[in-house]
Amino acid sequence: MSEQGHKQGAVRFGMVIDLDKCTGCMACSVACQAENNISFREDESNKLRSISWMEVFYLDNDQDYANYQYTYLPRPCMHCDAPHHAPCTFVCPVNATTRDEENGIVGHIYPRCIGCRYCIVACPYHARDFNWWDPAWPEPMEAMLNPEVSPRMRGVVEKCTFCHHRLLKARAKAFLEEQDLYEVTYMPACGEACPTKAISFGNLNDAESQVAKLAKDPRAFRLLSKLNTEPKVYYLSKHEWVRKQGDKHFQNSNGNKRG
Amino acid sequence: MKFGRRAFLQFAAGAVGGTLLSPLPWKLVDDASIWSQNWSWRPSPERGPVTRKASVCTLCDGGCGIQVRLVNKNRAISVEGNPRHPVNEGGICPLGAAGAQFLYAPYRISQPMKQSKKRGDATGFKPISWDEAVGELQKKLSNLRKAETPHTVAAITGHAHNSMQDLWQQFFTAYGSQNLFTMPSHRDSLQGAGLLALGREAPFAFDLEHASFILSFGADLVEGWGSPGRMQTLFGKWNASEAEGAAVKLVQVASRCSMTAAKADRWIPVRPGSEAALALGMAHVMVKEKLYDASFMQDHVFGFEDWTDTRGKPRQGFKSFLMAAENSLEAASQQTGLEAPRIVDLAREFAAQNHAVAVWGGSGGNLPENTYHDLVFFALNVLKGNLKPGGMLSLAATVPLGELPQIRGDETARKGLAQKSADQIGDEKPSLTGRNLYAFLSLVAQAPPYPIEILMIHEANPAYGLAGKQTFEKAVERVGWMVSFSSYMDETALLADIILPNHAALERLDDVIGLPGSPLAYYAVAAPVLPPRLNTRHTGDVLLQLARSMGGSVGEALPWKSHEEFLQERVKGLAAAEGGAVFEESPSDWGKVKVGSTPHRNYTDGAGLWKKLSAGHCWYDAPRDPLQEIRSASGKIELAFQTLDSKGWAVEKDELYLPRFALQAPSGDPKEYPLLLLPYRMSSLSYGYHPNPPFMTKTVWDFVLKGKESFVELHPGTAQSMGLKEGDRIILKTPGGEATVRVHLFPGARPEAVYMPLGLGRKGYDAYIGGKGANVNSLLDVQGDPLSGQGIAWSARAQLKRLG
Repeated sequence: MSEQGHKQGAVRFGMVIDLDKCTGCMACSVACQAENNISFREDESNKLRSISWMEVFYLDNDQDYANYQYTYLPRPCMHCDAPHHAPCTFVCPVNATTRDEENGIVGHIYPRCIGCRYCIVACPYHARDFNWWDPAWPEPMEAMLNPEVSPRMRGVVEKCTFCHHRLLKARAKAFLEEQDLYEVTYMPACGEACPTKAISFGNLNDAESQVAKLAKDPRAFRLLSKLNTEPKVYYLSKHEWVRKQGDKHFQNSNGNKRG
Repeated sequence: MKFGRRAFLQFAAGAVGGTLLSPLPWKLVDDASIWSQNWSWRPSPERGPVTRKASVCTLCDGGCGIQVRLVNKNRAISVEGNPRHPVNEGGICPLGAAGAQFLYAPYRISQPMKQSKKRGDATGFKPISWDEAVGELQKKLSNLRKAETPHTVAAITGHAHNSMQDLWQQFFTAYGSQNLFTMPSHRDSLQGAGLLALGREAPFAFDLEHASFILSFGADLVEGWGSPGRMQTLFGKWNASEAEGAAVKLVQVASRCSMTAAKADRWIPVRPGSEAALALGMAHVMVKEKLYDASFMQDHVFGFEDWTDTRGKPRQGFKSFLMAAENSLEAASQQTGLEAPRIVDLAREFAAQNHAVAVWGGSGGNLPENTYHDLVFFALNVLKGNLKPGGMLSLAATVPLGELPQIRGDETARKGLAQKSADQIGDEKPSLTGRNLYAFLSLVAQAPPYPIEILMIHEANPAYGLAGKQTFEKAVERVGWMVSFSSYMDETALLADIILPNHAALERLDDVIGLPGSPLAYYAVAAPVLPPRLNTRHTGDVLLQLARSMGGSVGEALPWKSHEEFLQERVKGLAAAEGGAVFEESPSDWGKVKVGSTPHRNYTDGAGLWKKLSAGHCWYDAPRDPLQEIRSASGKIELAFQTLDSKGWAVEKDELYLPRFALQAPSGDPKEYPLLLLPYRMSSLSYGYHPNPPFMTKTVWDFVLKGKESFVELHPGTAQSMGLKEGDRIILKTPGGEATVRVHLFPGARPEAVYMPLGLGRKGYDAYIGGKGANVNSLLDVQGDPLSGQGIAWSARAQLKRLG
């Protein structure tokens, strides 16, 4: 790794979310919670304390009644591809969060995490959540826990992993079948659940992949692209007001917005 | 040797160096991290092979294919869409995705319970055995038959689209009572509309797979209308990028900027409840400008031109009625609040499209609509010629399941059935179709024609979900004995005297008959994914056991040993019937099934069909030509409803025979209650029998629910004129009740309205569900439909008062 840039493997996983197809049903967020053993509490309405890897934001066009429009915007971790470092990996004092240069996935190693929360401060997308409490499931809901993902403990940070464990599983299968490990693709839980097929996922480096093609769509944009964090999550929208807000070009006046 | 300062430092440095060279510190760090990952209170999921089991979701009537991921084949960890299933093509809704949370819900009822204290006291439930529970119910049922009063038994079921409904019907007919009710649904009014227009009690179906222009009159297409899985899949296809194929245009007519309105190509905001007035205005324009399908109207429609009733009296037809002053463009403009040129443009656009269709049904099709309005939207489709073969509208196809055995019916049953059902006493107009739950409940609450000795509730939660729910609570007070079959300790189960808990959805065998809103015939079997976790029993098996122990003609009418055998018999009948096949093609071929085609049959007998169905496949048949399905008196589509005559209605005014705008203003003085309260639905809030699972509650906005308080939506201008700001606490009062809520400013709200989400304000269950927000159902106003008499609850008059 140098100051000029980072090593790039043949595989760079990325996601494209088509907001024109998204109906804000929240199935992605629910499927993510079930897949990743995300804990929940009796009251989840304090959104600053709520853990949600696939958080959904609310955007509107700031017009009145007849011209009013809004859209929901699902936000996983952006798995920033910026040269040298993603904002979070740059600040982590214990190397708990790192980018896998072989596939571009920004991971978080819970036992290494000392809970300093620098990464939460550094992330411009609010993609990281802190475990303020011990995770606890009401009896007998522990039976639902997915053995492929470890539940986190109090005091560590967690975030979307692009369902990295699914990649490991797909590669293990490919290895046994003696196939090329770098040809392996997979689908995270959110994209699998999406009932309108708004979420595509794949290798951005493969020019033939659907994500690589969609990322070049004229409707495509990325969140806060002016920060040069180079997110690997792309959004599609036919509405200019949505694309503009992706980069926070204008302010809202209603005071009821999040995100 | 003197141990000086220098020696001490040497020793200390040596000790540090030595320790670092030894494995000790690394071992300690390693141990510490291992320990910190293994806190005993942090759960460690049991490991094991992960497998998938395919089934069909029964949390709603949508008929989506699912596959449940199991660990060690005994623990369900998540529910996914089945990618090979044609309805949802692998997608899933949030309720389905959270489905396993119902299986492991803490509020499930673990065994039969009997209330030992006062009704409604949660602490009074005492566990009893299944033998005692079924024995007691059976004794009471037998005693009522001995007393020759079987008609005093009633039941409410939440299932209208599966064989359990038929089993209940069979049981009630054999037992001798007419008092079997289903929870209200849009199907109730649509069946009435189908009867009047086409002579068939079947809901309409829409070929949305082939439409190019969809005009939705308040239908929440993406919030879960008809079959939510089908609609979401279609919505994704309608919005395919240019590279993926041509796009479909969606125009939404609604008073509130719902998710469907926000996602549509165009939102046409109208006054609350005036969608049908817009449709009539468009019909007016289409007739005036001759934009309708004239040859179709000539050949296939009765009542478009003036007509003569059976008594020889000349009557006005729909065509001249549309030209009357009350249906003028100005009238439509005034009722909807839209400028006249916009109505004209919309009518021309609709008429010009090759594959345009009008759809309707607010509240996700889960509440009855005004039947006249159902017929107005239907008439707009008729003007477009949409009932032609290859047209966009037809009647839902029937599934030729095996017939149930003929009921011999003993003397007691005949006596019981001779008694009118408890909703039909009184001097109201004869009902068009089916039973009327609201009429039943209000009669039982006020002046019951005869006492209701036993009320059984199956997979329904009227104490929470019925608008104007006070009626239900009052009715229950006068019911002798209430039986609940609920799996959950919900609001209704809490009021029961005895609970015979059903298995949870993923633990039991069920079926799905028909796909709401789809023209294809559809049948699926939901095979159990796991064995029952608790000491519960399938309600179907309980009914069969009751019939068996009662014996006689009741036992004969329900001869099956188990609910499974009953379903297998029905499937055997389906296999023996003509037509249909199991869908095994690529899911994208689902939309290519042609009207009147014959699918290639891929099973030989009932057992073979059963095997395929219980593996998660579905049975289907091609849509029928709607013109061949007409059974009306004239043999044509009737836009003048002469069936009303044969149903014993004495209709004076000509217009009462015709599709018309018949908005019923909610009760209350507009001066006292200046605003209109309207419920709305969100796909992340479950408002039916199943409560919102914690996974879904996490996704609810903090401007919909904050702590224990829920919000109502107000237009910023309206709020300002009342001096209200975002987050202010108010008392929302309607003639039916009041609730303390907070204000959320929403520019998509109609200025004269206040909107409240469905699905909040449940009581009981557990701390993750109960006590969150206010229940809009308890505030709504229930009115009788002018045609069907069914209860309609679309709004209420409301006033807001600031708190503090």
